[in-house]
Amino acid sequence: MTDAIDKAAGLSPEDALYATRRFRPEFVDGAELCRLSVLKPANDQGLVADLRLALAQRIAALNADHALVQDYAAQLAQGQPTPTVLALAAGETRLAEPLATLARHVDFVTLTPASAEAGDIRRLEAAGLTSPQIVALSELIAFVNFQTKVAAGLRLMELS
Amino acid sequence: MIPSVKLKPLVWHPHIAPVDVSDATPEQIEAMKVTPSNKKISEYVRTLAHDPESYVARTVLFNAIMYVEGGLQHADRELGALGASIANGCKFCAVVHARRHAHLTQSDDVVSALYFDKPALLAPRDAAIERFARRLSAVPSQATKEDIAALRSAGMDDKEIVDLIHAISIFGWANRLMHVLGHADSGK
Repeated sequence: MTDAIDKAAGLSPEDALYATRRFRPEFVDGAELCRLSVLKPANDQGLVADLRLALAQRIAALNADHALVQDYAAQLAQGQPTPTVLALAAGETRLAEPLATLARHVDFVTLTPASAEAGDIRRLEAAGLTSPQIVALSELIAFVNFQTKVAAGLRLMELS
Repeated sequence: MIPSVKLKPLVWHPHIAPVDVSDATPEQIEAMKVTPSNKKISEYVRTLAHDPESYVARTVLFNAIMYVEGGLQHADRELGALGASIANGCKFCAVVHARRHAHLTQSDDVVSALYFDKPALLAPRDAAIERFARRLSAVPSQATKEDIAALRSAGMDDKEIVDLIHAISIFGWANRLMHVLGHADSGK
């Protein structure tokens, strides 16, 4: 079955690389379980599905992954996104709190993880995030950065 | 010639209070049984156990990518992990995976070349892996078809390249946890 990474990388079952990917079923199944664990967890820790999809779309855009941006935007459109959440998804920075702090954190950890420091976590706490929310947010940011890299690597293999 | 570097392990300290095992929910207790490389319950595991679902899913995937048998040599996966960790600025992960690479290859040469930022000293296969790791780790990715061609020229087949892509990418994930949720020091 075609999954989110195949879609992002433009792979279909006829492609040789589609079969090569399945030489590692534990990577394919594992990545899909991870996707569900950060985008549709049983316990969302108070970070609702639309917010998670909006942040995922934003991270995909920072990675210039147009296929994943479209995929997340389409999933978000199937929910009940508010105009504010749509603005967050589209990369807006002028947002009310706590979304402004969330957006800043997501952009910064995606683009310049090396500069992260304790103060960045304190900002999230000051914006009202709990420890479970901070961890869940971190996993979401990190997952989408993983997903865009796998897709980027597979696309290059298809091109060469 | 450059000096040979032997790195000492670092100690990781979280920026948030880890889950206290005596207060943990049944789901958190269950999650903490799945640990990276099957080591004991570290502060890192207890910190990530705040969100047990993502912790379990990621750790299972991480262990498969880094330790599953066959395919890309383990030392090459460690070099991918090391290159990504340097690019992403995660000192803790860089030291862990530099040490694993040195152990697996019984040589400090690759780690020393990277420590002194002299990738030109690497053998062609190591250079191709390190370059691809660095460029795929950039946001957006700077990796090119030529990087894939260099891996193929170094003798890597498509299954091995898929393994390498995953080893680099999972550190795009792990580095954004370790270096964001905590900091590393020498423990002294």
